[in-house]
Amino acid sequence: MNVDLREFRAAFVAEAEEHLAAVQSLLLKVERAEREGKRAPGELRELMRLVHTVKGLSAMVGVEPIVALAHRMEAVLRQAERAGGLLNEQAIEVLLAAARAIESRIRSVAEERSPAAAPPGLLAALDNVELPAPEALAELPLDPLLASKLGPSERHQLEEGTLGGKRAVRVDFAPSAEKAAEGFTINTVRERLASLAEIVKVIPVTSPASGKVPTGLFFALLLLTDATDEAIADAVGVDPADVELVLLPRAPACASLPVDVEDDACLAEGRGGLLRVEVGRVDDAIAMLGGLVVTRARIVHAIDRVEAAGGDTRELRSLMLDTARQLRDLRAALLRVRMVPMAAVLERLPLLVRGLARASGKQVRLELDVGSVELDKTVAERLFPALLHLVRNAVDHGIEASDERVRAGKNEVGTVRIVSVTRDRNIELRISDDGRGVDREAVARHAGAPPPVTDAELLALLCRPGLTTRGEVDTTSGRGMGMDIVHKVVVRGLGGELALETRAGVGTTFVLRVPLTVAIVDVLTVRCGGERYAVPVSVVQEIVELAQEQVVDGVSAGRGFALRYRMFARRGRSVPVFDLGDALGTPTSAPAPHALLVRRGDGELVAYAVERVLGQQEVVVRPLLDPLVASPAVSGTTDLGDGRATVVLDLLALTSSLEATRGRRRAA
Amino acid sequence: MTTTAPAHEAAQRRDAPRAQEEPRLFVVFKVGGVSYALPADEVLQMESYSGATVVPGARDYVVGVIQLRGRVVPVIDLRKRFGLPPGELTLESRVVVAEKNGRCVALLADCAREVLRVAPSQHAPPPRLVGEAGFVRSVVQLEDRTILVLDLDAVIGDETQPSPRRREEAIDD
Repeated sequence: MNVDLREFRAAFVAEAEEHLAAVQSLLLKVERAEREGKRAPGELRELMRLVHTVKGLSAMVGVEPIVALAHRMEAVLRQAERAGGLLNEQAIEVLLAAARAIESRIRSVAEERSPAAAPPGLLAALDNVELPAPEALAELPLDPLLASKLGPSERHQLEEGTLGGKRAVRVDFAPSAEKAAEGFTINTVRERLASLAEIVKVIPVTSPASGKVPTGLFFALLLLTDATDEAIADAVGVDPADVELVLLPRAPACASLPVDVEDDACLAEGRGGLLRVEVGRVDDAIAMLGGLVVTRARIVHAIDRVEAAGGDTRELRSLMLDTARQLRDLRAALLRVRMVPMAAVLERLPLLVRGLARASGKQVRLELDVGSVELDKTVAERLFPALLHLVRNAVDHGIEASDERVRAGKNEVGTVRIVSVTRDRNIELRISDDGRGVDREAVARHAGAPPPVTDAELLALLCRPGLTTRGEVDTTSGRGMGMDIVHKVVVRGLGGELALETRAGVGTTFVLRVPLTVAIVDVLTVRCGGERYAVPVSVVQEIVELAQEQVVDGVSAGRGFALRYRMFARRGRSVPVFDLGDALGTPTSAPAPHALLVRRGDGELVAYAVERVLGQQEVVVRPLLDPLVASPAVSGTTDLGDGRATVVLDLLALTSSLEATRGRRRAA
Repeated sequence: MTTTAPAHEAAQRRDAPRAQEEPRLFVVFKVGGVSYALPADEVLQMESYSGATVVPGARDYVVGVIQLRGRVVPVIDLRKRFGLPPGELTLESRVVVAEKNGRCVALLADCAREVLRVAPSQHAPPPRLVGEAGFVRSVVQLEDRTILVLDLDAVIGDETQPSPRRREEAIDD
């Protein structure tokens, strides 16, 4: 029973969230239309439908606060529809606030907390939204019966459609058994018309049964179209003479096809093929696949034994090769299931930017150019907070107030632009603004450091933990709030890179490069201290042979410090070498001859010596979460194909922890 | 019923609630010649053991992790945990894979091959001054031997217990 309820809750949350996201983006669309003085009747009707659905869903699971909010949102939307499809700025503001309130309550349900009551102030604001009174409309030359069925927003839609160069036509479709046999039902007629015309309204009309109306029921279809009567008649299965002109186009046909119709068509198409799946289910499947890989390895060993006993194993061997390929393909397919479109990840940013711009009184336009880039769900979730910080900083600190921009000869509306492309197995994200640029002096003053010369040095200062922009830096246009978090997410959390380009008065660009997926990591496998380890290739700059003559023993770091420490010369610089086994607490007898060169966050090099480098391969890393085995130097384990767990090391974290130990010893 | 003792036992049985009277299944395993047990509902499976993958920085009584059907599970060496000298791995060596509150650990034992039905009345509180006292929840005294029922949470170790790294810090200070 309990389990059922939980499953039901998950379904509710998933569906309600999806509808709500659509509500928010439609409200923004309506707002844009309103600013341009246009009406958006189609969007309004879709909004009503969505809000109504959210209300119904919430009533089903008994979330009263959402029901209350959605009910009032619906009332406002209906009022707007009656007023001819017009919403004013104040109404949109209140509706957005209500949508946010619903969103936070859906979150509560998701986290199994009981949602807070609907804020009374918000309910009152929804009740008191004032919309312009319905305008008097020009009489349409319509059959009075039909005219009485048309709402104001539909009349506006007709009017605007004809202003946009289309004809309004009426065509009647009378369903019958014969028609159905020919493939004409009201549904197929709607489908066929969808590509030819904008269907404004379908009005069912009863009339006495006759030869033309055998069932005593026909549908009057009111369409906006620029197709010919013949095409329309063909789609409905009637004579072209039966297509009746209602309104002529009233302006030169300069306007393009209504984009929204196209959008809707795309959406409808896309939705048909989509399936919402909990990530956990995909991960379960991936884990089970891991079990299959282990079993395969066992079978191979068994075949070895059969062969050793003199059996003929050729056919088995070739079957096992097929299995290996099939397992690889299956793994790739499952990992593709985990990919989400970047566009969906960024869906919420327009709302965020709108809110930030409003709060800061600036004018900001957000441009997204992410194409069809996809990334792993886990990467997306980890990356999003970093993106949020960067966009927030761009609006708060980068973009200037309108008057300042005008004085500087810039467009009064600032632009924040996010571009994303896939390169190799990485995603590159560029977050740029055309603002004032980062103030080097202010940042340096705040960090108590000399002014940085290069952008890289500036970035290093910005990413210092604890550097905030409160106070001085904030007002003098510095930037840095949360940059240490951004750095942590991108560099430590995702093994990516972070770069900065900034020019005073011109703007700032942050470049994030992160792997498409963290589930798959390209690793070097190494042996040392009798153990095998995997190290992500991305942190290793180079594998070097330690020739005896280049290596000197380092000075012991103090009392009883067992860690061997050597130095070797590389391009005129001394690089410290730690024995990986020593560093991990599994000392080896002889100094290891190969070294993995690692560049740390601050650009300094450090090397780890290993006995052997075994190879390189792509693996799936599972995090080690149990506190018994959790350790900063270990990012997880992986199965290299032998059914055993192999530790994946985080050499950057290992370096930090070695330094911490050494620092403490020196202090002691 | 010629002596008083069984009559006394019978009286006890009458007093105890019925549900507690139901015998429960226990998985029995040996470490250093002593028999230990865990309630069967805390045990997922028993597996033969041929070594674990060492995890740097893990607790000192954890010998590493093993992979079981795609799951990665830490292995607690019960000999180390109980302060016994290390034993040799044999064909008899087993890991008892236990799960409680969603957390899964494997306990390395010298051997494990028995499941026993034990009535609640057969449990006695652990005697003091026993090395494993902290790990033992109760003692089952059978005719020919003694079985110590382990407290799984205590064996796994509390989260608040200092990790080796933190202990090192404490020494440094």
